[in-house]
Amino acid sequence: MRALRQALLILLAALIPAGLTAAFHPRRPAWSEDTLLPGEVKLQTVLAWGSDVLWIDARSLKEYEAEHVPGAILLNLEDWEQLFPRFLDRWRPEEKIVVYCSSTSCELSHEVAERLKTNGISPVYVLKGGWEAWKNRK
Amino acid sequence: MKTLLFLLCAFAGSAFGQLAWDNPEQTFNSKPQDESVVAKYRFTNKGKETIKIQNVATSCGCTTAALTKTEYAPGESGEIEAKFTFAGRTGRQEKAITVTTSAAPQQPTILRLYVNIEEPVKIQPQVVYWRVGDQPDPKTIHIEVADDSPAKIASVQSDNPAVKVQLTEVKPGKEYEVQVTPASVTQPGAATVLIRTDYPRDNPQTKYVYVRIR
Repeated sequence: MRALRQALLILLAALIPAGLTAAFHPRRPAWSEDTLLPGEVKLQTVLAWGSDVLWIDARSLKEYEAEHVPGAILLNLEDWEQLFPRFLDRWRPEEKIVVYCSSTSCELSHEVAERLKTNGISPVYVLKGGWEAWKNRK
Repeated sequence: MKTLLFLLCAFAGSAFGQLAWDNPEQTFNSKPQDESVVAKYRFTNKGKETIKIQNVATSCGCTTAALTKTEYAPGESGEIEAKFTFAGRTGRQEKAITVTTSAAPQQPTILRLYVNIEEPVKIQPQVVYWRVGDQPDPKTIHIEVADDSPAKIASVQSDNPAVKVQLTEVKPGKEYEVQVTPASVTQPGAATVLIRTDYPRDNPQTKYVYVRIR
């Protein structure tokens, strides 16, 4: 009985920091695959927006040339200085911008979206699941 | 008490047999002339069995991770060398290197690399725009020269005479403002503002700000 009490105490002692981490840690993982990070949007939502969307492919030129969302334009950090003016030629202030990279785990789409926002361009969203989500759409 | 010891051993199992990392989170402050940083993550096999590093994955194509060998005997040390190439990135960057070992294949270790990338000359924003029909009020571009950068702003020029630019020095040699004013915004238009620096001396850099009327 004493051992059980001690075990419960240890469990309780472990649960307190675990709970605090889950609630406040800046890099805590999402509870489920469906949870959206700030600025993210689901593919179904984007498709419901219709044609009023400018797709931005934040992957490499090689990946973009292999396959991309129809109408998407390439804008990545590696070639930002060359690609940004081309983006501006296509961009219209009233359009919603949706940035994607390879998959949920890649960071490039968030980085490109952030850089667009710091230049005063909005609204900018990141596609949850990236190119993988587009390819697996039903 | 025996039960307690059993529970402790059972739950602590995952903590043993892992590689011990000297410095799993590293922060670098880049210099204006830097194009990349290299971080070395040193580890030691503190377990009693040989550990195999099964996979080293980076969160971004901009980061590579090199390992001299994959198997480490008990007590043996090694290191993973991660190189992060900036390639146009600026500001605070965070990259992750995920290391999976035979000791705990389901519990990979995540190494973190934080880099503050300083630009010799920082320009914000990179685009100013007006909607057709707006008032043609001036918009301001801020230029900041990094503290340890010898760069100076040599000139600011618009490639379109219908868009005027005026350079003002806010803090001598360090902070400037450029006022951009279109003559008219009654129809779509575009211009590029060329901000010429005197750095590097052998090939001075020119920065661009884009003007759009949509």
